[in-house]
Amino acid sequence: MKIFFLCILLIIAVLIGAYLYRVIRGPTIFDRVLGLNGISTKAIILLALIGIVFERMDMFIDISTGYALLNLVGALAVAKYLEQKGLP
Amino acid sequence: MLSASFDWVHLGLGLILSFTVAWINSGHSPFVPNFRLWGKIILYIPWLFFRILQSSLHVTKLILHPALPIDPKLIHVKTKLANPAAVVLLGNSITLTPGTITAEVEPDALIVHALDDISAEDVTSGRIESKIAEVYRNGE
Amino acid sequence: MEILSIIFIVVGLFFLIVAAIGVLRLPDIFSRSHAVSLTDSIGAFFMLIGLALHEGFSMNVFKILAVLALLYLQNPVIAHATVRAALRAGLKPWQREAS
Repeated sequence: MKIFFLCILLIIAVLIGAYLYRVIRGPTIFDRVLGLNGISTKAIILLALIGIVFERMDMFIDISTGYALLNLVGALAVAKYLEQKGLP
Repeated sequence: MLSASFDWVHLGLGLILSFTVAWINSGHSPFVPNFRLWGKIILYIPWLFFRILQSSLHVTKLILHPALPIDPKLIHVKTKLANPAAVVLLGNSITLTPGTITAEVEPDALIVHALDDISAEDVTSGRIESKIAEVYRNGE
Repeated sequence: MEILSIIFIVVGLFFLIVAAIGVLRLPDIFSRSHAVSLTDSIGAFFMLIGLALHEGFSMNVFKILAVLALLYLQNPVIAHATVRAALRAGLKPWQREAS
């Protein structure tokens, strides 16, 4: 069972690499913001999986809650700033 | 509550803090909570989830198709909903459904970006809107 | 219970892979946001429900459901904010030319 969760964890890490390609090579800056949003959703799932593998679920799920809240505030701030500034 | 400790000190401190924060922020929002409405909204969620499942299968088929047969477009949708909270719920539902995304909100219209014709059909046929109108008409 | 949780996790993983392929393949920002929304709404749902089924009935299940509700509330807001910023900045949606 632990091997199964480790495989899932590895596959999600590879998928984060795909989003990272979009963040680095994105033609416009909005692609980068969108890629960061996708990475953060994956990071929440990844944290829950790490909690199951290490059997410390009570700690890691709190970390993922905090990560989700920080992601909301950060993404909204970046979107508001870009909306006022226009396309660079 | 989230720290799973149920003694009186933690519960009392949490109650005092949450009421203080709600009291400080209470002047800003025009949204008045209506508790009879929440039951209707909770009944609305499984229907929405079924719609999400259906359209996400459609988007999966589009993405995995070798020729990538997408035809994105911007469409204008007129809404007849008067309540601002109903418009917010409509925009959230449209964005949450894969294949359609709300790009701009005006007082009586939405600009929706749709991935292809079948996804756009969901919004233009007004099924979600009639459902939300039913929720809000019975609640008031 | 274990079998059910494995099925849920594999289905969620399938949707996550499809969304990553879509992010790499689709041509512009407006269509890529559809792929990210696919991840957020359906992939995260199946993965987190699978994890909650594996965890069994305890306090952690409520925390996982709270994270899931938080995701469902915040992801449309973020996607809408990003797309509206892109639209107001003057980006034009990609159109198919020869049609």
